[in-house]
Amino acid sequence: MRKIVLFGMVLSVSAWSTAQQKIKYVEYDLPNGIHVILHEEHATPIVAVSVLYHVGSKNEIPERTGFAHFFEHLLFEGSANIGRGEYSELVEKNGGTLNANTSQDRTYYYEILPSNQLELGLWLESERMLHAKVDIKGIETQRSVVKEEKRQRVDNQPYGSFFTEMFKRVFPSHPYNWAPIGSMEHLDAAQEEDYVNFYKNYYVPSNATLSIAGDLNIEQTKKWIDKYFASMPKGEAINLYRDFINLEEEPFVKRYGVSKTKFNAKDFLKSSDPEAKKLIANYTAKQIVIKRTTKDNSVLKGVTKDVIEDNIELPGIFMGYKFPEQTHPDAYALEMMNEVLSGGSSSRINKTIVEKKRMASFAFSFNYGLEDAGIGIFAAIASKDVSLDDIQKEFDGQIETIKKELISEEEFQKIRNKFENNLVTANASIAGIAENLADNHVYFGNANRVNSLMDNYMKVTREDIQRVANKYLTQDARVILHYVPKAK
Amino acid sequence: MKNIVIISACFLTATTFGQVDRSVRPAPAQAKKIEIKDSEVFTTANGITVILSENHKLPRVSFDLSMGSDPRNEGDKAGLSDMAGSLIMSGTTNRSKDQLDKEIDFIGASLSADKNSISMSCLTKHMDKGLSLLNDVLLNANFPESEFDRIRKQNEDGLLSAKSDAGTMAQNAMVKVNFPGHPFSDVMNETTLKNITRQDVINYYKSIFTPDGAYLVVVGDITRKQTEEMVAKYFGEWKGGKKYVASLPEATQPKGNQVTFVKKRGAVQSVVYITFPIKMKTGDVNQLPSTVLNGILGGGGFGTRLMQNLREDKAYTYGCYSAMNITENGSWMSAGGNFRNAVTDSAITQILKEFELITTELVKDDEINLTKSSQAGGFARSLESPSTIARFALNTIKYKLPKDYYQNYLQRLEAVNKDDILNMAKSYFTSTNCNIIVVGNEEILDKLKKFDSDGKVTILDEFGNPFKEIVKADISKEQLITNYLLAVTKSSSMKELTKKLKKVKSVERVSEMSGAQMPMTLKFFNYYLAPATEATALEFQGNMMPLSYFDGKTGYTSAPMAGKKDMTAEEIAKKQKEAGLFQELNYATNSTNYSLEGIQNENDTEYYVVKIVDGETESYDYFNRKNFLKEKSLTITKEGDKTNESTQVFGDYKEVNGLLFPHSLSMNMGPMILSGKVVKVEVNGKPDMKLFKK
Repeated sequence: MRKIVLFGMVLSVSAWSTAQQKIKYVEYDLPNGIHVILHEEHATPIVAVSVLYHVGSKNEIPERTGFAHFFEHLLFEGSANIGRGEYSELVEKNGGTLNANTSQDRTYYYEILPSNQLELGLWLESERMLHAKVDIKGIETQRSVVKEEKRQRVDNQPYGSFFTEMFKRVFPSHPYNWAPIGSMEHLDAAQEEDYVNFYKNYYVPSNATLSIAGDLNIEQTKKWIDKYFASMPKGEAINLYRDFINLEEEPFVKRYGVSKTKFNAKDFLKSSDPEAKKLIANYTAKQIVIKRTTKDNSVLKGVTKDVIEDNIELPGIFMGYKFPEQTHPDAYALEMMNEVLSGGSSSRINKTIVEKKRMASFAFSFNYGLEDAGIGIFAAIASKDVSLDDIQKEFDGQIETIKKELISEEEFQKIRNKFENNLVTANASIAGIAENLADNHVYFGNANRVNSLMDNYMKVTREDIQRVANKYLTQDARVILHYVPKAK
Repeated sequence: MKNIVIISACFLTATTFGQVDRSVRPAPAQAKKIEIKDSEVFTTANGITVILSENHKLPRVSFDLSMGSDPRNEGDKAGLSDMAGSLIMSGTTNRSKDQLDKEIDFIGASLSADKNSISMSCLTKHMDKGLSLLNDVLLNANFPESEFDRIRKQNEDGLLSAKSDAGTMAQNAMVKVNFPGHPFSDVMNETTLKNITRQDVINYYKSIFTPDGAYLVVVGDITRKQTEEMVAKYFGEWKGGKKYVASLPEATQPKGNQVTFVKKRGAVQSVVYITFPIKMKTGDVNQLPSTVLNGILGGGGFGTRLMQNLREDKAYTYGCYSAMNITENGSWMSAGGNFRNAVTDSAITQILKEFELITTELVKDDEINLTKSSQAGGFARSLESPSTIARFALNTIKYKLPKDYYQNYLQRLEAVNKDDILNMAKSYFTSTNCNIIVVGNEEILDKLKKFDSDGKVTILDEFGNPFKEIVKADISKEQLITNYLLAVTKSSSMKELTKKLKKVKSVERVSEMSGAQMPMTLKFFNYYLAPATEATALEFQGNMMPLSYFDGKTGYTSAPMAGKKDMTAEEIAKKQKEAGLFQELNYATNSTNYSLEGIQNENDTEYYVVKIVDGETESYDYFNRKNFLKEKSLTITKEGDKTNESTQVFGDYKEVNGLLFPHSLSMNMGPMILSGKVVKVEVNGKPDMKLFKK
């Protein structure tokens, strides 16, 4: 009997594996440290060019929050060879689209272009990396744009501050303490120098992953990458070059003790003056050390309960739990647990709290896995005259149930089907593939994880789900926020 | 050794850096020939053409089944096909709608239908289950009565909002003038909707959903052999009659420019479409160059001629676009936008000027280049979606396109030159034989006459039918109001009415409303307390929430997210004017500015139309000419250069305590529609007003 069960399991595992198509790619490092990932696929004559900079809000200093996100905006302003506002125009004019996003852990830029415009995409991204316009005019323009974004997305959004408030309490001693949008006062207080330094510290070849997917020829693409990216100065030499083009003679001499005139303006690295040559060699050898944060393995101490006043009419409750980092083996089971609790309209939380008991107009939970730690959040907006404590009791009841009882076979099968479907569609577009490869390289040190992801989820058992619920949904160590209407 | 490597690496880096001139922007490489695999085609014994496009990139598969019949004139049942389409997924003889939804969700599939097709997509391994669900719908859809009623109700609501939406009104007029007598010109209205029965829907489904002439496009991770097996298993037993074949009337350009006008009360801006039919069908060799022509003229983006002229240069509008619609059954060109009343005629002049310019002069190099590259990019990106490939495969077979039509699309696009554009414009375009459609305020009508070649403007109603002019009323406005008040209070004299109303101390009305955008039923509570107290509350998820309260002197309004707001002095003055059970009772004594517009025929019913003006707000009340009861009230408020319109419809008047109260209600504000029934009217009960006190 045991054998038959085992056999059945093996069969089902292999069935999963065949459902996932292998994504082939090549990867290598350039001498200056850029990690390159290329996925060749000719199904569609388009190509996605992306650069992931391993810098997010967690790399900011506590007095200068919001920088990483601000740079995402700033780096559309142009470069030494691209006029202000021309960046997007160039992409659109050539049949492409572009965008960018910033998280606690990374900043990600991409273009999707017709494949015959691949070289253009590489040039655009290399311009951004080598000598973007980081000047006061662009800073001022983007400062007002970012402020407007914060007004719209956080300040004027009912309950919009819950993310910030929750992270503040769940991560008291880690830079996840603040949100990527950051503080507008910090951005105002920052000097041009602060911005320039952020660019010099984090927007450097050794902190970048260039991930390209789509209709490309690997050999030709490598040649272009050599031309536009491998040609960039190595180590601190890139910042020497940046200072050379940005600084006036006097401050340059003050900083480096060598006149700008000694350098070859047309071909910086080929400067023949011995002093310049020496300086370039010294700075090339000098590695840029990027300050990394460390994993946050601390546990929450007891229950933190706070009341927050907001411009809202209906009270809301937000409960936060400390989850492990996204690379932790338990992350898969936690995601599947969340799917049982809150995945779609037939999920447990929605069925009971919203539909049957009508205690809340919205109720849901979600996982937020990050590089150094994770967080699990339960949230609900109360129906009129329903107390937040009663909603909390319902949440606690659901948590109790998933801790005590195995989920049903049918529920289990449904979420497995759903995950499989999601994973297949996640790699349906070349833009998705480029991003997934880059993410997996940076966070997991293994781009190839895109090919084993399904197995990781399918290995999760009903018992695993129960186990992680017991391990991480700690009722005696969590943050509970009550959002209440501001007193009038 | 290691040092040497580093040194040589530096050296290498240095030389390559020197060779890059970064100020030179890379030129595009040669446009790629698109690799679209040839699809395989076979036919089944029952008449289905199966088109298979294998693509094993992802373990997914999709089946798109579309019917081969020509569109049919629907006449006095206009809207039947759309209604049938929205009912196909309503359940089968084996499964209720809920069951069907649940089983689809379980395998993570999607299954949908419209008036001419049914589609299913899922992971390949769930193909059997997915197809068995599709098969169940295809063979056993049973159009339950309750769902039929629900969808009819939804359509009724939709018509209500269509009547206040200038864009829809312009579309309705456009199909009528471009395609007279053609199925394209079937526009649903209240009368045709009433004519549609459940049996009509069943008959439509039976006759149109037939294997004869149908196309089944299969795309994805599936082999020819599997496809044949699946088709035999799930489509083999599908039977039906011959497909419907019609010879559709050929649409022609009007002789000389013809102006068509649709009146929109209170409008501060007009919707303009300048349009004409084109003699071209899907797959025509000239389709591609014409698309480039349209792209230059106004087919999207800020750089087009229409945008540059009418938005950037003249600031007549926020957006002015053109569209070229090429279909197998009829094609047309249209250009236009929304324009302020004062510049509507100037905008028409400019659009016609652009039409003329493009038919007489060569376009510029940068215009054609920009349009071609942005269209090439859009085309290429669209190919990532399997549904695009499915559409190409179908078009290639259906319209007998050359096999490499889509493979060579980008090369042919690249080859389009300035002469081609001018030739296209000369062959298909006109600036002198256009239908000029304007939906707007009647006050601009005179300024439009100059555009009409014979000086006679055609006036249509909201649904594109000949407008029935309003006729002079046969009674005075005072008489009408008196007649209404007597009718609604079932009194024979004003004296009796006064006596009757004195006895009314309170009225509580409860109505249950629902709408397409609302998943749940909303319960509204309306209270009236003599002499002038009024209150409204909403029950939401078992909780009562006050919406408004007015005690004759002061009050507030309240919204779930925004909180309570005290009424302004203006709002109080307005409330006081309307105070009482029937606001019309006050007309004689307060200074309400109202007039009797005349008698208007709508949906074969005659109405007295009363216009009430209050500051920037205009209202129109419709009283049934037969019984004087109020059946509709339309309110238009102005906000800058925009107007907001809301409509209330009252019906099913029933007597309660000697007074008549409407028992069916619907209301719409823009696209938001609610309709329902009054479930309770209680006169002189003891309503609990605690909720409204602070």
